[in-house]
Amino acid sequence: MSSNRIRILLAALLLIALATLPFWATRYMVSILLLICLYMTLASMWNLLAGYSGLISLGQQMFIGIGGYSLAVLSMYHGLPIFLSVFLGGVISVLLAVLISLPIFRMKGVYFAIGTWIIAEALGICFSNWGYVRYGMGLFIQPAYRLSMSTIYYAALVLCIGSIALIYLLLRSNLGLALMAIRDDDRASEAIGVNIFRCKFTCFLLSAFITGMTAGVLYLNTIFIQPFEAFGIGWTVKLLFIVIIGGLGTVAGPIVGAAVFVVLQQYLSEYVGFNLIIFGTITISVIFFTPKGIVGTFQEKLGFEIFPIRRR
Amino acid sequence: MLTSLEPLINGILLGGLYAVIGIGLSMIFGIMRQVNLAHGELMILASYFSLVFLQLLGIHPLVTFLFVLPAIFILGYLIQTFLFNWVLEKGMEPYLMISFGLSIILQNAMLLLFTPDARTLQTSLAIKSINVFNLFYVPVIYLVDFVVGFLVLGLLHLIMKKTYLGWAIRAASDNLTAARLMGINPKRVYALAMGIAVITAAISGVLVGMTFTFYPHSGTQYLIIAFGVVIIGGLGSLPGTFLGGLILGVSQLVGGRIIGPGLQLLSGYIILLIVLTIRPQGILGRK
Repeated sequence: MSSNRIRILLAALLLIALATLPFWATRYMVSILLLICLYMTLASMWNLLAGYSGLISLGQQMFIGIGGYSLAVLSMYHGLPIFLSVFLGGVISVLLAVLISLPIFRMKGVYFAIGTWIIAEALGICFSNWGYVRYGMGLFIQPAYRLSMSTIYYAALVLCIGSIALIYLLLRSNLGLALMAIRDDDRASEAIGVNIFRCKFTCFLLSAFITGMTAGVLYLNTIFIQPFEAFGIGWTVKLLFIVIIGGLGTVAGPIVGAAVFVVLQQYLSEYVGFNLIIFGTITISVIFFTPKGIVGTFQEKLGFEIFPIRRR
Repeated sequence: MLTSLEPLINGILLGGLYAVIGIGLSMIFGIMRQVNLAHGELMILASYFSLVFLQLLGIHPLVTFLFVLPAIFILGYLIQTFLFNWVLEKGMEPYLMISFGLSIILQNAMLLLFTPDARTLQTSLAIKSINVFNLFYVPVIYLVDFVVGFLVLGLLHLIMKKTYLGWAIRAASDNLTAARLMGINPKRVYALAMGIAVITAAISGVLVGMTFTFYPHSGTQYLIIAFGVVIIGGLGSLPGTFLGGLILGVSQLVGGRIIGPGLQLLSGYIILLIVLTIRPQGILGRK
């Protein structure tokens, strides 16, 4: 059997295992995999920006907050079906992304990072002063009580597999080729006709859309949303950790990183206060000793890629 | 009518403090072209140091500078030597992320050591205010902030222009190769520069502690203020930083007066985003 067939077989087995998980695994295992799926999707979207498009965003939490609040407001105040609200959360995130793209794409590098962060902070202040969403007290997303854990799990699984497939296809498309050309030499790529702005803009909108929807599913699981938590920098800390540990600019990096993160979080939750210190220390050590992350280092050593995005 | 001068005057005074909050960040950017995301945490760490000495010895917060500043200088020197100096040549991302990791570590270490309670560096100054022509009040502490802030910026200017260290720092930032040829060890210069930058952060931290309440998580808020100041004025420009502080202070207090105190921070952010959009390199910054 060729290595390609083994790969397909393994992927199919894994897919079947994941799809039937709620039937044979414990509730605890389902809840852990649910979290892994969600964090993986969020981290992949951050990776698409930071690892492939050179846009280091410290403001992904703006889409997380918007996605979560859209879900809460649309499903509770307006009685829309839950998953339609989740989808609309993604749409509203895209609208926000379009709205801020005009100022935000004038900023480069550090300025882009700071600009996105400040927008997220400003949104947090707006929501905590907005009576419609009960100020800083937050909202309980009551319609979510009706959903079972496995329903939320399947929603997360669909988002997760969908986003991996999307990124994989996107990177192997012309857009992916253009992104790599920009990353390697932006001037040369522009000279041969790559539209840098359009490439980065597409990635930014895509990342906003999926992040907004994923946040919706995330808050179906959490049930409670509060502005300073939803729009807080803590989200970016987690995504950064996941992507750095896994490997920046690799498709498989966020998958491995998210699994490591969620499992670590479970074990470290006993040591309240120490867990973030440990996360911070691990992040710094990884940057020092294995700057390519777990996946990047393995790829280098073994010469094997789980998701090869090179053209043969 | 004249009472509307109150937020303006207080905003200017607060701006002096904001300028000190931003100057360390601006300095590091000007010298190493890097952004230290742990700046706010180092600031708040100094507030807690000061609190410890204040409680142990019962001295005035401004006197605790004697202990706090050397301690924080050594900390800054060590951080630069053992962390940041290793990733300087690897571009922007590793530095950003290491400083981000450091800020998370410091923030949570402070949470463990000092509990999440709100603290303040209590002085008799905090409750006094000056009545200006029976029109409005200016809190004395704001005046102290402004004067100390102005002194710090002036002193920093002198150090950069008149001392050997200042020359070395500027030489290393202007032309690294030439500086090396002249016998300057850039890594040591960077470590000293970081020490000085965190000293300015520590001074602003103690002033903030005397003026407002602080928590282990306050660093983030002040990091954003530091960014605001530095971006409005232009990264790496000393007069720009002062101007940036004034603009941000005034826009916050005047904006707070107009749209309500809950949105005071927001008006500062909006000014910041406008400046970032129209003139990304800052008002006095060079490209």
